[in-house]
Amino acid sequence: MKVSELVEKAGLKAFNKQSDKDIQGVYISDMVSDIIGMKEGHLLVTLQTHKNLIAAANLVDVVAIVFSRGKTPAEDVIALANKVGIALLGFDGDTWTLAKKLCALGVG
Amino acid sequence: MIAVACNHKWAMTNIRSGYLVIEGCFHCRNRISFFSEEPIPPVDDYQEGDHFWSHLGDYQASQFDLKCEKCSKEVPLKEVMATMLCMKCNPECGVFAVSAQDQNRKTWVYVALCANTSHASGKCVTEEGIRALNEYFNCGLQDPLKKIVVVPCALRKSVDTCHGIVLADVGLTELY
Repeated sequence: MKVSELVEKAGLKAFNKQSDKDIQGVYISDMVSDIIGMKEGHLLVTLQTHKNLIAAANLVDVVAIVFSRGKTPAEDVIALANKVGIALLGFDGDTWTLAKKLCALGVG
Repeated sequence: MIAVACNHKWAMTNIRSGYLVIEGCFHCRNRISFFSEEPIPPVDDYQEGDHFWSHLGDYQASQFDLKCEKCSKEVPLKEVMATMLCMKCNPECGVFAVSAQDQNRKTWVYVALCANTSHASGKCVTEEGIRALNEYFNCGLQDPLKKIVVVPCALRKSVDTCHGIVLADVGLTELY
C-alpha cells in the first residue's frame, strides 16, 4: 500500500508532503535505540516527536512516521523530516487502535 | 586454495540494551563515554590517575555487532557508543568535508561515536567496523539515489560545538 492510500483509508493527518512510497511493513516503537534495528521501507508508529527519532528513521530508511494520540511534531522536526524525505502523519487515537486499523487494512 | 572474498550480507547480532554514559574531567576537560549494561547507569564521580571524572549525562541506548549471514564473519562494534547524524554545522570539521565531497542531496553522513570522546588516547572506531557499518546501512535502501556514509568520530573537529543529532533515547520521560 502507498502512503497516500493509507492516509486516506486510515484518516491520518499529514504534517508534510513527501514522495509517495510503498509501505512494506509496520514497526511500533518509542525508542530510538530500538528503531535502528528496523528493516527498510517500513512505517513507524510512535509517540515520540523529537529530532533524534527522525535521524534514526532516516538511517534505517523509514517511509513514513505516524504519531499516535494526537502528538504534533515541532516545526524544526518537520523541517528535518522534509530534508530527509520522510512523511510525517498523525493519528488522534491510541497506538493499539491504530495497530488494529493497520491490520484491518492489510498494511505490512 | 584461494580464498573467495565474501560479498557480505550483514545482520545485527549480540544486541545489548543499556545506557550511553558521558563523563567529563574538570581537570583536563576531556570527555569520555561508555556503555553501561547496569539496570541503573552509574552517576558517581571518581578519580582515575590525574582525571576527576564527573557524570555529564546518560541516555538509553543499544549496542550491537554485525554478523555476515553468508560467511558467519562477525565484526564486533563494542567501541561504537552511538551514531550521530551530521548537521553540517562547521565547514572546518572533517565530517563536514566528507559530506561536502558528495554533492548528492540524498547522501547523509552519520558519525560512529567511540568511547574516547575527546580522542586524547588517539583511538577511535576500527576501519573494519566503519566498513561493515557502511555496508549494513546501505544494503537495503529503497531509493537508489540515497546513500548513508558512516565515518569515525575522530574526524569531528569539536565535541563542544558539534550540532549533530545523536541517535540515543531522549525525551522518554517527556511523553505526557
